Amino acid sequence: MTNAIIVNNLKFNYGNQQVLQDVSFEVQPGKVVGLIGENGAGKTTLLRILLGLLKTNMKVSILGHRPGMSQSVASMFQGDLKLPGVKVGEILAEVAAQYPNPKAPQTVLKELNLSDLAHHYLNDLSGGQLRRVTFAMTLVSNASLIFLDEPTVGMDVNARQDFWINVDRMKNEGKTILITSHYLEEIQQTADQILILKDGKIEFDGTLNELQKQYLTTQISFETKRKGSIFRKLTQVQAIEQNGNKIKISSTNGDATLRDLVPYLEEIQHLNIIDASLENIFQTITRGEKNNAEDD
Amino acid sequence: MQKMIEQLKFDGKRLIFRNYGFVFFSLLMPTAFYILFTQINRVQIKTFSAEYMGSMMVYSILITAIMGVGNFMERDRNQGLITLLKITNRNLNHYYISICFWSLMMNIFTIVILGTTAILINHVDLSTMQWVTILGLVWLGQIPLLLLGIAISHVKRQETLTILGNLITFPVAILSGLWWPIQILPRWVQNIGNKLPTYFLNDMISSTVNNAKINWNDVQGLGVWIVGLVAVMTVGTIITRRKGRLARG
Repeated sequence: MTNAIIVNNLKFNYGNQQVLQDVSFEVQPGKVVGLIGENGAGKTTLLRILLGLLKTNMKVSILGHRPGMSQSVASMFQGDLKLPGVKVGEILAEVAAQYPNPKAPQTVLKELNLSDLAHHYLNDLSGGQLRRVTFAMTLVSNASLIFLDEPTVGMDVNARQDFWINVDRMKNEGKTILITSHYLEEIQQTADQILILKDGKIEFDGTLNELQKQYLTTQISFETKRKGSIFRKLTQVQAIEQNGNKIKISSTNGDATLRDLVPYLEEIQHLNIIDASLENIFQTITRGEKNNAEDD
Repeated sequence: MQKMIEQLKFDGKRLIFRNYGFVFFSLLMPTAFYILFTQINRVQIKTFSAEYMGSMMVYSILITAIMGVGNFMERDRNQGLITLLKITNRNLNHYYISICFWSLMMNIFTIVILGTTAILINHVDLSTMQWVTILGLVWLGQIPLLLLGIAISHVKRQETLTILGNLITFPVAILSGLWWPIQILPRWVQNIGNKLPTYFLNDMISSTVNNAKINWNDVQGLGVWIVGLVAVMTVGTIITRRKGRLARG
């Protein structure tokens, strides 16, 4: 079966500014992909190219077609859609009319607990309600490839929960979903594949397990009167930060580093050991944190 | 076809039936002006009341195109509707056809309201053929104004668009003699005014209500405006598309 998304050596410039550099990846049908990156990493530009909103002559295939040519692509984008004189039910009917095999708007509203909003005007809704309606529009399309651009921005806790339940439901229906986000934590439960974009380049393409194997670090922090530089020789130390007496060591193998730290135990206080969170991993990749110990 | 019908249903409600701005600025205000000015100028009522009905029709069409359609399309673009339609519909043909259709319907409403007012208050008496001709002229004359409305809807900020809309609508209305006869304006102002699309349309409607032949120069003038605006918009579209295209391929 052809992959749902194929991108080969994609480059894109806005004038002289290079936004995407040699971006290549593929997405299998039925997979959920998390596209993560900081502001300005190129996520939205990449998404706009995949949707056919920005033209490119590079090789990009969407469901076997050129971007913008497939009838089975939907997107939840970041527009406000505060259109005067338009009711929720009407915008959903408008979207449904554009797709060959849509879901009934009433059914989708019921699934998302939004039935009460059907006769409300769009410009009377709160920001969070609008985001949920925009998501409902994506569900109404019943498209087989769905792009969700920072979908949970502005949603409250319950709406987020409903959102992820519905993403899981779409995944079980065999839909291919690409979600852009600033937050790795948010998509870790659902994503089969993670793409990390940094400065217009794909820095990581793989599963969450692969990401953790490759980037998992243990943070060892303590206080000591010793110079930070002497801890550099410990096994598997990736980075050291020193702030006065406080030292934070990032290790790619916490057990090995701790074994080497034993001779210094009498000289250190407030020892604390934690495995790096996904947020730390994300920061390590996107900010390229290096050994920044201050030798004194 | 189903897509087109849905688009028409979707736009009809928001552009006309729930658009109080249109009802006030495009229907009530020109009608009120018409009643006010024709009642003041009772001396010339026989010819003036029919001609001024035409002027107010053109004024209403101008407001609808620049302040109404321009604003609507700017909002559709900035609020994400255009993006949504591009993603779902692949092209915007249905959207533009629908906007043009409802714009024509708005102008037909204008003809009905202003025509009925002119008949009831000033006893304007035109033949069926004259009314049909006015309808045809309005259809033709709205094209350059609509193109202008679509062109200015690409302005990014709502505030800028409002200022631009005012800067176009009111000077154009005055210069082309929609509020008072162009002959009372200084010669050099007349020379600008009689080259505007609203002047050509107003002059053609004026000829129609006076049972005179339509001036060929008016038709040519409108044609030049239409061709010119289409050319400008085509060049603008090409430049915009190129800006988003790859620099290196």
